[in-house]
Amino acid sequence: MAIDTHECECEKRESLFVPREARILHTHAPTSTEKHFTLQFVDGSPLKFQPGQILEVGVMGYGEIPIGIASSPTRTNTFEIVVRTVGRVSTAINSKSIGDSLWVRGPLGHGFDVEALRGNDVLIVAGGIGICPTRSLIQYIADQRDDFGRFVLFYGARDPLQLLFPEDRGVWRATHGIEYHETVDRADVSWTGNVGVITTLFRNTQLSAETRVIICGPPVMFEFVIRELDQAGIKRENIYVDLERRMKCGVGKCGHCQINDKYCCIDGPVFTYAEIHELEEAI
Amino acid sequence: MPVFFTEAADFGPFVDSLVRASRVVGPIAKRQKFVFGEVHSAQELRLDYDVTLLPPKKVFFPPKQAIASFDADRVDGEIVPIETVLLGVHPYDVRGIDMTDFLYREGNADWNYLAQREATTIVASCVQNVAPRAFWASMADGNQPQGHDAFLTQIEGGYVYETRTPAGEALLAHGNFREATADHIAAAGRANADALAQCQSQLPYSSAQIAATVRESFGDNAMWDVLAKDCFSCGSCNIVCPTCYCFDMRDTWNLDQKSGNRTRYWDACMTREFAAISMPGGGHENFRETHQERFRHRFMRKGAYLNEKLGGLACTGCGRCSAACTADIADPVKVINAIMEWS
Repeated sequence: MAIDTHECECEKRESLFVPREARILHTHAPTSTEKHFTLQFVDGSPLKFQPGQILEVGVMGYGEIPIGIASSPTRTNTFEIVVRTVGRVSTAINSKSIGDSLWVRGPLGHGFDVEALRGNDVLIVAGGIGICPTRSLIQYIADQRDDFGRFVLFYGARDPLQLLFPEDRGVWRATHGIEYHETVDRADVSWTGNVGVITTLFRNTQLSAETRVIICGPPVMFEFVIRELDQAGIKRENIYVDLERRMKCGVGKCGHCQINDKYCCIDGPVFTYAEIHELEEAI
Repeated sequence: MPVFFTEAADFGPFVDSLVRASRVVGPIAKRQKFVFGEVHSAQELRLDYDVTLLPPKKVFFPPKQAIASFDADRVDGEIVPIETVLLGVHPYDVRGIDMTDFLYREGNADWNYLAQREATTIVASCVQNVAPRAFWASMADGNQPQGHDAFLTQIEGGYVYETRTPAGEALLAHGNFREATADHIAAAGRANADALAQCQSQLPYSSAQIAATVRESFGDNAMWDVLAKDCFSCGSCNIVCPTCYCFDMRDTWNLDQKSGNRTRYWDACMTREFAAISMPGGGHENFRETHQERFRHRFMRKGAYLNEKLGGLACTGCGRCSAACTADIADPVKVINAIMEWS
């Protein structure tokens, strides 16, 4: 066999599974199911990460879940996450308040290739809670705006109450240099904006074929967005998809997040569409 | 490394001395079957076993393993290796350990596994009785297992003990060994060749051929439907496999409801929930929804994905999955031969 069982160059004899304590500095609940946390490691060390990377976040006694980082590494030594209440662990996390601790491992995986985006036109397509990990990149680009070309941002949610980050959206809407478009599947009486699935935003936006595109949202969204991008002539290698899986260990061992022969936790969660378009288990 | 011999009468005292000095794990009888268990005396050791119910991976990767403990605001890692002699491991199971060693070392090194692995001295042994579903003779691709410290072969009148590492040589101090003669070594060679000859079931393809064909067969839905038709998604094939290493992580509380453990448990990719994620409103998205998809994933891992990474199939030919499968559809010889011959 071509395997070597005797030599190990790994000197660090530490467990991969011991989390670090992070204190909750600030919280707010933008919707009935989501909670937004600002965190800082108790030892004061910064979280060094790339937009798009994930954290395993948990409460001891309940477990941990993979969460995308919702803030940019260009800002302070705190970091932000948004957790949606869907199960036992997320319920335990969302029961925590300012001054409490969460237990964090990471950053894990590969984020967005910001160097490949630099100098190019960028389109971000974020559906539902997919806005959270992309917010990290949105802030990153906004903070280094001159390094990037045209910047278009599409954000869609089920209804107006589900639209996250109201203050950010105000900034994005008003900021010269961000072409921000939003939509909801179902409007309410207060809504005067676009109504329809996120692909309806492509109707009024011309994209250059060289645009770099980031897609993050529910699995059903990818296929329809990619169809629009195909029509715009955007190459598969210039499309980045941020995939969600049950990443239990986060370090490429436990097998839960495997997509054919790739592991979402170490090869992703951000992949180019060229890497995964032939993988039946990807989208 | 030199080769030694000990008389049959001296073998029991050798094992008893090891037991007094260290934790010894080896094949022992459990009703009509065999298991790897803690050996308390030489009398318990059953080197005449055919195959154990579970592979020896459980010594390094227990079915339930605490990886962190917590108490109030404190969290500590749990890496507590126990010096162990693992005695009587058949060559196919050494190959399984070789593969698992590689998989836990690559990328992010998993010291919750590796620390126990390094604290363990492995004495492999010749197969004296071949299990009915075994096919390891056709699985070696001409390569030998390499993760063991010594190799023991029973011959007429005693045992031949080949040392492979200094750790294996160090165990000689517990017994009455002398240098083996050319006759002893020749007899050991014959015993091992006889065992190979008894193992009849065959996979007549190279690992590279299998990797290519299995990977190409991914989209052949009609074939996977036929192969997986009777699968119950029970995960038995995963649990008994020496090269399966997937796990789940769960927290458990102690009775005080303040302290507890983060624990990993063996998990099985054949079970329905394995690739499911929770969605809002209590829903789920399952990325391998059907039992055909899960069955295919198992053979993609064994035959293609891990095969390409390891340079050989992630299968040792132990036959445990065939024996454990309620529907009798897990036999890798039948499945891989069917894939190779499908047209």
